Amino acid sequence: MSESDQNILVMEGISKAFPGVQALDNVSLMLKRGEILCLVGENGAGKSTLMKILTGVDQPDAGKIIFNGSEIQAKSPQHAQSLGISTVYQEINLCPNLSVAENILLGHEPHKMGRIDWAKMNNMAGEALQRLLGIDIDTAQPLGSYTVAIQQMVAIARALEIKSAKVLILDEPTSSLDVHEAGQLFKVMKKLKQEGVGIVFITHFIGQVFEISDRITVLRNGKLVGTYGTASITRVELIAKMIGRNLAEFDEMTKIKLESGKHIKSDSVLQARELGLTDSIRPFNLDLHAGEVVGLAGLLGSGRTETASLLFGIDKPDTGDIVFNGEVIQDYSPLGSIMRGVALCPEDRKAAGIVDELTVRENIVLAMQANKGWFKYLSLPEQYEIAEKYIKMLNIVTPSADQPVKNLSGGNQQKVILARWLATNPQVLILDEPTRGIDVGAKAEIQKLVLSLAEEGKACVFISSELEEVLRTSHRIVVLREREKVAEFAGEVDEKTIIHAFAGSES
Amino acid sequence: MLRRINDFVSKNRNLIPLVSTALLALAAYGVGAYFFVGMRNPQVFFNLFRNTSFLLISGIGMTFVILTGGIDLSVSGVVALTTVATAVLLRDGWNPWVVILLMLAMGMTLGAIMGSFIVYLKVQPFIATLAGMWFARGMCFFISDNVVGIDNYIFQILGQTKILIPGLTELALSQGKPAPYINIPVIVAFLLLFAAIYVAHYTRFGRSIYAIGGNEGRNEQSARLMGLPVDRTKLLVYTFNGFCSALAGLSFSLFVASGHGLYASGFELDVIASVVMGGTMLTGGAGYVFGTFFGVLVLAVTQALIQFIGTLSSWWTKIVIGVLTLIFIGVQTVLANRKSGRQGAQTLQDALRKRQRLALGFGAVAVLAILAIVSSTRLGSASSTENPETAQCVIKPFREAEAANLIKDGAVIVYNRTAGPLCVDELFAIYPDGRVLGNDGVNNVESEVDPAEVDQMLSKISGDYKWFTDAIYGRYLTPCRQCFAHYVSVSYRGQEKTVSQVDGTASMPQGYTLTLALIRSVLPEINPAP
Amino acid sequence: MKTSARSSFTWRKVTENKLFFPLLALSLILLFDFIFIPGFFAIESRDGDLRGSLIDIFRNGSTVMLLAIGMTLVIATGGVDLSVGATMAIAASMAGILMNPSALKNEVFFVTDPNYTFQPLWVVIVLSLLVSIMCGLWNGVLVAYMRIQPMVATLILMIAGRGIAQLITNGLRVQITYRPYAFIGQGWIILPFSLYIVAVILLLTWIMTRKTSIGMFIESVGINFRSSYFSGIDEKKIKLLVYTFCGFCAGIAGLVASSNVKTSDANNIGLTTELDAILAVVIGGTSMAGGRFSLLASMIGALVMQAITQSMYAIGVPAFALQAIKAVVVILVILLYSEQVRGFVRRISSSKNEV
Repeated sequence: MSESDQNILVMEGISKAFPGVQALDNVSLMLKRGEILCLVGENGAGKSTLMKILTGVDQPDAGKIIFNGSEIQAKSPQHAQSLGISTVYQEINLCPNLSVAENILLGHEPHKMGRIDWAKMNNMAGEALQRLLGIDIDTAQPLGSYTVAIQQMVAIARALEIKSAKVLILDEPTSSLDVHEAGQLFKVMKKLKQEGVGIVFITHFIGQVFEISDRITVLRNGKLVGTYGTASITRVELIAKMIGRNLAEFDEMTKIKLESGKHIKSDSVLQARELGLTDSIRPFNLDLHAGEVVGLAGLLGSGRTETASLLFGIDKPDTGDIVFNGEVIQDYSPLGSIMRGVALCPEDRKAAGIVDELTVRENIVLAMQANKGWFKYLSLPEQYEIAEKYIKMLNIVTPSADQPVKNLSGGNQQKVILARWLATNPQVLILDEPTRGIDVGAKAEIQKLVLSLAEEGKACVFISSELEEVLRTSHRIVVLREREKVAEFAGEVDEKTIIHAFAGSES
Repeated sequence: MLRRINDFVSKNRNLIPLVSTALLALAAYGVGAYFFVGMRNPQVFFNLFRNTSFLLISGIGMTFVILTGGIDLSVSGVVALTTVATAVLLRDGWNPWVVILLMLAMGMTLGAIMGSFIVYLKVQPFIATLAGMWFARGMCFFISDNVVGIDNYIFQILGQTKILIPGLTELALSQGKPAPYINIPVIVAFLLLFAAIYVAHYTRFGRSIYAIGGNEGRNEQSARLMGLPVDRTKLLVYTFNGFCSALAGLSFSLFVASGHGLYASGFELDVIASVVMGGTMLTGGAGYVFGTFFGVLVLAVTQALIQFIGTLSSWWTKIVIGVLTLIFIGVQTVLANRKSGRQGAQTLQDALRKRQRLALGFGAVAVLAILAIVSSTRLGSASSTENPETAQCVIKPFREAEAANLIKDGAVIVYNRTAGPLCVDELFAIYPDGRVLGNDGVNNVESEVDPAEVDQMLSKISGDYKWFTDAIYGRYLTPCRQCFAHYVSVSYRGQEKTVSQVDGTASMPQGYTLTLALIRSVLPEINPAP
Repeated sequence: MKTSARSSFTWRKVTENKLFFPLLALSLILLFDFIFIPGFFAIESRDGDLRGSLIDIFRNGSTVMLLAIGMTLVIATGGVDLSVGATMAIAASMAGILMNPSALKNEVFFVTDPNYTFQPLWVVIVLSLLVSIMCGLWNGVLVAYMRIQPMVATLILMIAGRGIAQLITNGLRVQITYRPYAFIGQGWIILPFSLYIVAVILLLTWIMTRKTSIGMFIESVGINFRSSYFSGIDEKKIKLLVYTFCGFCAGIAGLVASSNVKTSDANNIGLTTELDAILAVVIGGTSMAGGRFSLLASMIGALVMQAITQSMYAIGVPAFALQAIKAVVVILVILLYSEQVRGFVRRISSSKNEV
């Protein structure tokens, strides 16, 4: 079979722009029949956009897609399915209140004398699960009564049975699975591989990438970094490519000196002692000192946001506790944290940050007002004053303080959120991806701002997926890998060492 | 052993609400039968179905709507509209079978229109069906202002044919008691029930309905992705509910043998309560059509119990239904929230214990509540002057002929009052010369007022209270336990108008109330209570 | 050409103002009245009091206006309160019984003495309002703490509430003839007294929502309650507050309504007024999904509803055919407010700007 016949799917030169950001820039991807291709990349790489274009949710600005020899353009997810490209998402798009058999066969149920033949349907479903996936469950039970792992299997079964998919896209399927279940999934994937199905496997678990895939396609910031055979690349090399570093550059022992903080106090403002939450973060210790910036580094899925959630009180820990200024915290809640003087600028600004219909001014004073309660209302002139102060300080681009926040660009929205938390004058400021979506010049500004906040006496936690940024802004660096704190660095640090820490013991 | 029961319960978790409702209904009936001899009469049991066949019919349609995660508030309006349209068409001489078909078509059309608004214009079901209800009720009054009686032979047959129960007939006759019976609307309701169960569980259409609802609206998207015809299914569901509403309206018109735009007030709430108690979650996606049957049964038993207790106002029905609905919804929500929480590994013992506690707790609360209500009122009634045996008041019909004669003889105001807490039947006549006569069929009473006052009353009744205009209208329904029924005839300056009204049900015009107050203020007492 | 200097008054700004659509609706109806109903706008002075059809709109609409005040806040948090009609009935029954408890003895005692009342007026008012606050509290607990869907939770009180109201009066309709009480709904001090009540409550609510942070928090919770939670807003307390306050408003509305008809008719007071209140808020432009709200706009919405009613009466449309007309209005309003139509109007007005 010639090279081109081996490819079941070819995406060529795909580009897509959204207002303000180029999501994909001339990206190409090739999938062979009976192959497992891993698609990896950090935040903003463009993985989900690429898949949305493939499955018909979005349309590309440029480029073409060749599926099974002919050019296609999926107009909708249903259309893509009918062509033979099926997707199984992390949130299973099935109906948990219906039975397993129904979820597999609904729309194609066997009928007998005009009515649904339940016995036959349950058997057919059971047989399909056995045949395709090698699993054996009671198909008459509601889907929702099974674990997510099984539900995923059912979703895969439907994709194959009904739609006879030739390309199967698995979008972060293992995020909710334990080791054993993931192993089962891999067994199934290998079986499908043998049958000639092409699988695109999107995941952030580096270990799994190396366990199951044949080839790896790496995206970064909307561009294609490259496609590599899994056997011919090491973990460290892969990670380096994902975060945009060239390992070759580090053969000279480039050491970066972290900022030295003479003003760092020795007593800790906030101390996490064996703080942990099952399925979220393994128990860890962390000391924050006034005047210090602690950078939290790690790959996607390593648990950075979960750590922030625990420190801020959004999640209640299973184990351990937090000591704040010498007292053990009893009240884990956002309001409690704000009242103590801890602030969190969250990663997902749309869902957990901005209140889009409210104006810039309202968004900025929101947390401050919540701290004051219902009756100590900041008068309107006071609010405008505060808003103007931060608009100027952070250089927020907006026609006025009365613009609804939803009309601002992403970067400016981010600045508004930052302003909100700065306004609460916290002792501890946790920033989760504060520079995402902000232009380069503004990024540098924010980094400088964080350092100056530290000099003023605040304790800051700086979380970012840009390693370079973390290095430039922190006094200390904490590395997380797969939901666990694995390393801590201060003083002088070697970037290669950090990347090795990302990768794990085997490089 | 316990483990096997637990397994069985786990496998059929969805049936728990349904079973508990069924048990509740049967338990309540059992308690009632224990306390009240009258309830042991099998006819009472069958009357449960006779009295609520229209509720069941409407409940079946509503179950489908709620299963898709929607709601339909228009059912009461469509029922009322059906009764009025039916009555008027029959009065105008239309063929009853044509009328029936026409009504069903009308119901389906209204349902389809509302469904299109919901599906294609993306209007929230709540608002769209609300508009539908207003529209339907409004249409009633375009057709007819007053109650219109149904006098049609075919309808009489349909409504009153007694269908004997095979097996029980001989048993009853052998005991010298009348054979228990049901009627045609009950049969229709049951046929519809079985058809609905078939559709829900054995057709693709039915399973699509289940697929659409539930999971907080996410299911709808999943169903679309699965390739199911979501829009068409939803539209059909609302159309079907329109059909059921019309059918329920026909059944109701057979029941009351009349039609009026104010009927079925608050009906939609009873329907929704039945569906919820039958185990169908208001968020959709889960529930059984058969459960609605039990929900209706609970409502029926509650009504019967309250009637038999006698001393309770019939408004207790509404409160009890409200409380029961709350308990069901509360339990549903708590269970749902727990399920969507972390699926932590629970030991078998934990799950067992929790379930036992829930079941025991719920059962205990229900039984205690029923016992409490029943026994407390029994204890209470022992000290009242009423004899529990004769608790039911036999309401005498208005003495219309007698009233007409009195007017002919010169009375200007004739007032006949029946029912009430003491079950009376009083007739008064006021004459222009100031005489006031009254009797209750046994005793007579006479008194005198100032003729000028009679004049003043008449001008007030006619002028201020607008007696002779459309503002005063009549409506008659069986009065509630404590309520009076009034029949007032006024003759003034050549005009004559008689209006009858009942306390405590739907709206009595303000003018009528004031007229009553005015009249009563001059009437003497007949037989003051001992 | 620089447009920024002139942008302070453009067609676009007018249409985007929250009050535009409801005012437009109101003016259309009033225009219709002006053309087709002679004497509609006539205001005469009788004994120093202003009277006329226009004044009647305000007076008769005061019940819905009161309900709409409370309902606006509830809808702004993304919820709805279906039980306001039932709460009105409960408050009215409470008031009736407190003034005339003879109904408890199984007798409708026709009181003809306008100065008779069993309890002093202030006791009547305070207790009735207390009861309605409890109803609101009940709803609030169900929605905020037990996390039951608002529509479902308030449905309970809607079903049971009328039963409770009937129970309070023992199933009978209590005659209310106490004149000071009747003043609430029927009194006149130049303008109808109920209007003053509405104005006071409106002012109170305005102070509560705009002079404290409560209004901002309500809007924030309605728009994005996760972001609000992360910013430290206690969404549970806010929801509890709005439902309790809605109950309070319903209580006042119940007193006004019952003093109007001189009876406490548990079955009819507030029948379908919950729907009128919701519609008033929707016409006023507050989205049922929650978020920004405007009390003034809801008042205009209530007036629109009442103006339609009044106009229909004036033309001679029979009382209940009105419901069908209201249904048509609902449909028109929904269409008018649906995103498609609004976007269309905006596109038209913006293209005017660009020329």
